[in-house]
Amino acid sequence: MSQHAEHHITPIKTLVQVIVALFALTVLTVVTSRMDLGALDVPLALAIALTKGALVVSVFMALKYDNKVNAVVFGVGALFVVVFLVFTLFDTAFRGDLSSTTKGTIMEQEAAEEAILEREPDASALQFNRSNE
Amino acid sequence: MDLKPDERTMASTAEHPAHLQHHFVSSDQQFDAAKMGMWLFLITEILLFSGMFVAYTVYRVWHPEVFDGMAALLDWRLGGLNTLVLLASSFTVALGIHYAQVDNRKGLVTNLVLTFLFACIFLVVKYFEYSAKIEHGIVLGDGFAPHGVSHGVDYATYDVMFAQQFFSIYYVMTGIHGFHVLVGMGLFAWITVRAVKGHFTSAYYTPVELCGLYWHLVDIIWIFLFPLLYLI
Repeated sequence: MSQHAEHHITPIKTLVQVIVALFALTVLTVVTSRMDLGALDVPLALAIALTKGALVVSVFMALKYDNKVNAVVFGVGALFVVVFLVFTLFDTAFRGDLSSTTKGTIMEQEAAEEAILEREPDASALQFNRSNE
Repeated sequence: MDLKPDERTMASTAEHPAHLQHHFVSSDQQFDAAKMGMWLFLITEILLFSGMFVAYTVYRVWHPEVFDGMAALLDWRLGGLNTLVLLASSFTVALGIHYAQVDNRKGLVTNLVLTFLFACIFLVVKYFEYSAKIEHGIVLGDGFAPHGVSHGVDYATYDVMFAQQFFSIYYVMTGIHGFHVLVGMGLFAWITVRAVKGHFTSAYYTPVELCGLYWHLVDIIWIFLFPLLYLI
C-alpha cells in the first residue's frame, strides 16, 4: 500500500550481520571475564554490554531508521537513568559509616583516633611507680 | 476479508482501510502514534529495571569482593546459553517483522513460533538454575543457608556476610525479567494466532511491531544482567 511505502524494511543481510556481531560479542565478554584483567574487568564487560544494547536498539528496534521523536523519547529516558544512578552514588558511595552506631561523623572519629595516636605519653605513665614498694 | 464485527461496520475502502481507527488521519499516523506510545511504555519499563540496577550498583560498591565471589556460583555456561537463546529470539522477531513488511505470511508465522520456542528454552534453563540453588539453601529471604556439595562446589563456603544481598538482587532481577519473558510468550502466542488467521499485511502489522519492540527490550535487560550477575 502506498501509505506505507516509507516504512523502513531492514534487509535480512543487515539483520544477519547484527546477530553474528551479537553472538561474537557474547563470546568475547565470556572469554575476557574468564581472564584476569584486574581493574579492567568491570569496565570492559559494561562496554561490551552497552555495544550489544546499542546494536539491538538501533537495528533490531530500528531506532536508527525510525522517526526521530522516538530516539528523543529513548534518549531522554536513558539520560534519566544515568541521573538516577549517578546522584544515588553521590550519596551511597561516599558514606563509609554504614556500620557506625556512634553519634559522631566518620571524620570526627578519625580525628579523635589520630589525636590519641599523636598524644605525647604522660611522663608519669612511663615511670616505674615505686610508692608501692 | 475476515473482519472482526466492530471492523465490519467501517467502510473498507482504499481511503479508509478496516484497521484505521476513525480518530486517525492515516494509517501512517496511527502506526507512528502506536509506536511512540510503545516507546514511552518501554521507558517506564527501563525505569522499573533501573531501580534494581541502581540497587545492584550501590550494594556492589559497598561489598565488591562479595559480589565478585558470589558470581562464581552462577554457572556462566547456562547464563551464556540463555544469552545466545534470547539474542536468537530477538533476531527471529526482527526477521518476522521483515517478512510481515514484505507480505510473507509463512515467514512471519515461522519466526513468531521460533521466538516462542526460544522463550520456552530460556525459562526451562532458568528453572534448572533456580532449582539447583534452592536445593542447596540459596533462597530469597530468611531461609538463606547454603549447604551441601555438588559438582565439586561446596555451597557452605558461600555462606559469608552479605552473600544474601547478592542473591536477593539476583532472584528479584532475574525473577522480574523472567516474568517479562512469560508475558512475552503470552503476547507471541496471541500474535501467532492472529498471523495464522491472516490479520497482518504490509499495510497493517502494528501489533507485531509493538510486541517486537517489547521483546527486544526484554533481550536488552538480559544483555546487562548476564555480565553483571554471572561474569564480573
